[in-house]
Amino acid sequence: MAIVNYNSNVSLCGGTPPAPAPAAQGAAAPGTSVTPSVELHVCMGLNACKGHDRNGTNNCAGTGYCATAQQHNCQTLNNCRGQGGCGLYGDAEQQLTPGANECAWQGSCAVPIQAERFSTLGENAGKSVWLQARKLFEQRMVKANRSYGKAPFKCGPPQNWLISVLGSYDSCGNSGDKRCSFGFNDPEVHAKELCEGKKE
Amino acid sequence: MSQNLFFKKESEVTPANLGDAIQQAIEIEIATIPVYLYTYYSINRSPDQDTISGSLVQELVKSGRSVADASAIALDLSAEIMVYANKSGALIMSVVIEEMLHMALSSNLKQALAGLPDLVGKSPSVWPAALPGHEPVFWINKAGFSLKQLETFLKIESPDPLADAGLLQAPIPYKTIGQFYDMIKECIATNDLPYNTHSPQLLPGKGYYAQNNIDTVYYDKDHKPHFTNAEDSGDLLYVYDRDSALHAITCIVDQGEGTKGVPGLNPDGSVDCTAIIPPDFDGKNKKELCHFEKFAQIYCHYKTLSNKFNSLDIGVVDISKYFVTNVPLNPLTADYPANIAPVSDLLNGIYTYLFVMVENCYMKAGSTQFEIFMFGVHKSMIFILNSICGDIMKLTYTTPQGQVCAAMPTFEDYPFGLLSSPKSQLIDLYNTAVAVYPTISYLGPRILDLPDVPLKIRGKF
Repeated sequence: MAIVNYNSNVSLCGGTPPAPAPAAQGAAAPGTSVTPSVELHVCMGLNACKGHDRNGTNNCAGTGYCATAQQHNCQTLNNCRGQGGCGLYGDAEQQLTPGANECAWQGSCAVPIQAERFSTLGENAGKSVWLQARKLFEQRMVKANRSYGKAPFKCGPPQNWLISVLGSYDSCGNSGDKRCSFGFNDPEVHAKELCEGKKE
Repeated sequence: MSQNLFFKKESEVTPANLGDAIQQAIEIEIATIPVYLYTYYSINRSPDQDTISGSLVQELVKSGRSVADASAIALDLSAEIMVYANKSGALIMSVVIEEMLHMALSSNLKQALAGLPDLVGKSPSVWPAALPGHEPVFWINKAGFSLKQLETFLKIESPDPLADAGLLQAPIPYKTIGQFYDMIKECIATNDLPYNTHSPQLLPGKGYYAQNNIDTVYYDKDHKPHFTNAEDSGDLLYVYDRDSALHAITCIVDQGEGTKGVPGLNPDGSVDCTAIIPPDFDGKNKKELCHFEKFAQIYCHYKTLSNKFNSLDIGVVDISKYFVTNVPLNPLTADYPANIAPVSDLLNGIYTYLFVMVENCYMKAGSTQFEIFMFGVHKSMIFILNSICGDIMKLTYTTPQGQVCAAMPTFEDYPFGLLSSPKSQLIDLYNTAVAVYPTISYLGPRILDLPDVPLKIRGKF
């Protein structure tokens, strides 16, 4: 698995977003070149199109390395529709829709979604949030009659990988490290169990 | 809460004083929130295991054990401390969340039966504080986590009347919070009361209330998460008739004190830890303890763990030293030096603005209410308030008693003036605070994002 070096100028996953272009006065001038926006999505493996990951280099749907939505670390901090995470906060219904919130500030957790994150309420309680997000993504692709590839990490980006890529990564809450904090556990086993769809 | 005088010499709830009685219930719920939150923030939920283990190894080797034996014992006990600290935090937060639910349920009740709830300016203003109307009076401190503080929590949630006789003269007197709610229940059940079904309430199904979040979760020794609130234990309820009103009160009492007749406090205020099993649950799936039992569980676990440490022949160990921050008793913003007071003012401004926004939710319906709650209340509570509580605790000061402590959230009602909007005053507070403490600059854009809602004019509604 290659490590993608973080470049805050490339996209929105972890850095300051590029300044928006000045609004056009009236109709666009003929011949004006406009860079089309990519779809904004919340994590690795959730891109619907070629070139729509943070580096713009992925070959096809579902294979992107990271979110194009702006990184944030808590509930109500997402910019717009489909750009919020979920799992650590939010009610049971919200926790079923990572990356599928209806509007700005209606996401209920951090973006991107680390592999270790589990839902705290509802049908998915104790299970992986990223797998739930990927499930919704795959359903959407099937409905749209689109092919998609495997995500770079089978179960989403591990927190340590996100830190190495983004420089820092945090999802809110006071209950401690979601990966490991005590002397009597094996984080790799937990990660594997979560990846297999088991409850934490 | 400024120790309002609700009634004189009235000791029952009647249709004539029902509105005041429900307001008293709201203020009882509000009074618990800053106390529980203060103690919550004194706990370091994820202390450094290596530090705990290292100091234990040294003590154990000094007492004559081999390094190998000492290391094995220290690893085990340090993990127990880690779990205990995290679990105590999770259980206290799970209670705080339900106290906020109770405040909302009581407010729904008042909206249906007596008009708008009053929430702003109702946090205790004098410390130590007392629950309005509770007999006997017992004093409640903003204090760090300790067995003594847990005994206060247990008194608040006690299903049995407390032993000492005392008198608080003004509000409707009661001996347990459950008994007070029973008086309201009795009035509602035996009178044919009109219900206002047109005014806004905080309703279920809108995403306003979530029983669990990551702060109500703790990890066991194997790092398996445990969820301290059950999804079936309670939710917001629309109060529109007698049955729904009684249902709301039942939810509050079941979550708080639990079932009547379960073992409560000993006469000296301690808990008989052998009597709390089987635990008293508040949901039909028997997954969640009532508040009294949650606190009793932390209290008894504290004693068990202390006994383990004290059987090691390494001297008397107060286990709180491993995970409780050194905090002042009942601090006020006025006690803080100039580099902290503005941050405390901002924190109290946010805390008070939460109540301003919730009051507005009882005056606005539909998408306006939704936006105030989801983008204002949630953003303020989960992100801004929690963040600034963590930030202020990075600052230390010397108390008038000469003790060096972490600056703590004081949870005082900020006195918003009427000449400009509370939000514009909040922005001013932020500008003053960030000038002395640039660490909080990341909060500026989020404060600007908050909805701009007015103070309710008292007596207008």
